[in-house]
Amino acid sequence: MSEVIVITSGKGGVGKTTTTANVGTGLAQLNKKVVLIDTDIGLRNLDVVMGLENRIVYNLVDVVEGNCRIKQALIKDKKYPNLFLLPSAQTRDKTSVNPEQMKKLVDELREEFDYILLDCPAGIEQGFQNAIAGADRALIVTTPEVSAIRDADRIIGLLEAHELKDIKLIVNRLRMDMVKRGDMMSIEDVKEILAIDLIGAVPDDEQIVISTNQGEPLVGSNSLAGQAYTNICHRILGEEVPLLDLEEKNGVWTKFVGLFKKN
Amino acid sequence: MSQPVILKSNRYGINLILDNNISFAELKKAVLDKFKESEKFFKNASIAISFEGRILSGEEELELLDLIAENTSIHVVCVVDHDELREQLYKEKIDSYYNNVADNTGEFYKGTLRSGQVLKCDSSIVIIGDVNPGAKIIARGNIVIIGALKGNAYAGAAGDESCFVTALTMEPVQIKIGNVIGRSADKGPWEAIRNRKRTMEPQMAMVSDGNILIEPITRELLNSI
Repeated sequence: MSEVIVITSGKGGVGKTTTTANVGTGLAQLNKKVVLIDTDIGLRNLDVVMGLENRIVYNLVDVVEGNCRIKQALIKDKKYPNLFLLPSAQTRDKTSVNPEQMKKLVDELREEFDYILLDCPAGIEQGFQNAIAGADRALIVTTPEVSAIRDADRIIGLLEAHELKDIKLIVNRLRMDMVKRGDMMSIEDVKEILAIDLIGAVPDDEQIVISTNQGEPLVGSNSLAGQAYTNICHRILGEEVPLLDLEEKNGVWTKFVGLFKKN
Repeated sequence: MSQPVILKSNRYGINLILDNNISFAELKKAVLDKFKESEKFFKNASIAISFEGRILSGEEELELLDLIAENTSIHVVCVVDHDELREQLYKEKIDSYYNNVADNTGEFYKGTLRSGQVLKCDSSIVIIGDVNPGAKIIARGNIVIIGALKGNAYAGAAGDESCFVTALTMEPVQIKIGNVIGRSADKGPWEAIRNRKRTMEPQMAMVSDGNILIEPITRELLNSI
């Protein structure tokens, strides 16, 4: 049984693409067959974050317009043979694809893959409508900032109106030192405002910037953020994993890795 | 008269002000043109209509109504004689009907109202859930929120300033009751979150001396309304 998950946020720059890359890679590490679709037509960058830009020949719009077969456009990951990317087009815009076409494309991919992750563009216009069209579940990425949370709230409302009920929250770029000082919202604050279930919290970690620049998702590494993404993947599979204590220092985590087995 | 037909809308329908100096055939054509022009605006509307400026025979009146029915999607509910007193009476009847509805009945809504969502209600409303910043409730009657009010609430939307808004946690951006508006203090959104009370304190907003007053709900307060 395959699942289609859209990763969305409303606001730009909160970490949708990084989350898509890491969650997708993490699910592949757990031996799932995964395809990532970059739906941000005109502003593609999931391929860059995955380090696959140099392999692009065909893209999403080519598939939809019938210039190539789906298989020709899918790019196999460098490390994981069960992970694929369907890149976006850079020279077109959001209106090149409509929600019906996206839904059809996604449904075709269901036969082949366990997980189909859709990296949604910022905003609530056609790009967003395209991305959510075929989705079963949604992951809302937000940072603990009022502007990001306001947009996330709007997005949740739109998803609910679209009859998409399985919505989970990822709080990204959390800085525990600031939360402690009372200068940043805590996970509890965010949960209280948005009133949806949390599926993971990812600390603000400079390793993310490094890994993004290198085109190597850091999920599965010993860094706090890498662990946080692995935990999110386990929770997507339906396993119960306790929230990381984000204040812990690196090093302790290697000992905990053994704990992340099923239940 | 510069135009043979003028459409003037009031709260309950439209007045047709007709030229008395042209032939009926010309008038018919003018009426038709006028409605065609505003077809989009009135699309599928149900309205009351009144004629002014020219005395029409019963036959002429029917002819004009047929013309409107055949050529537009407007549904004419009734023809009203133009009469200030009658209009006033009509208005009072409608308002008192709505006020009775607002006073005596209510609706329930379960769920969180999120940014960008607007809930409108012709009576009073009970919301079981939060009203988030950027969301809005508009009710002709009272608004009762079993949850937190963090967005906008507009009670007594027909102008009734005796309506009230209650919430278990009262942190509104704006409250409007009748024609009185109150807004939150000028603090940033983060401060509002940081200073949020951890315990619920049910509060009620009402109009007092032309201002919105928010007070904790006590027995005395409830007895006074």
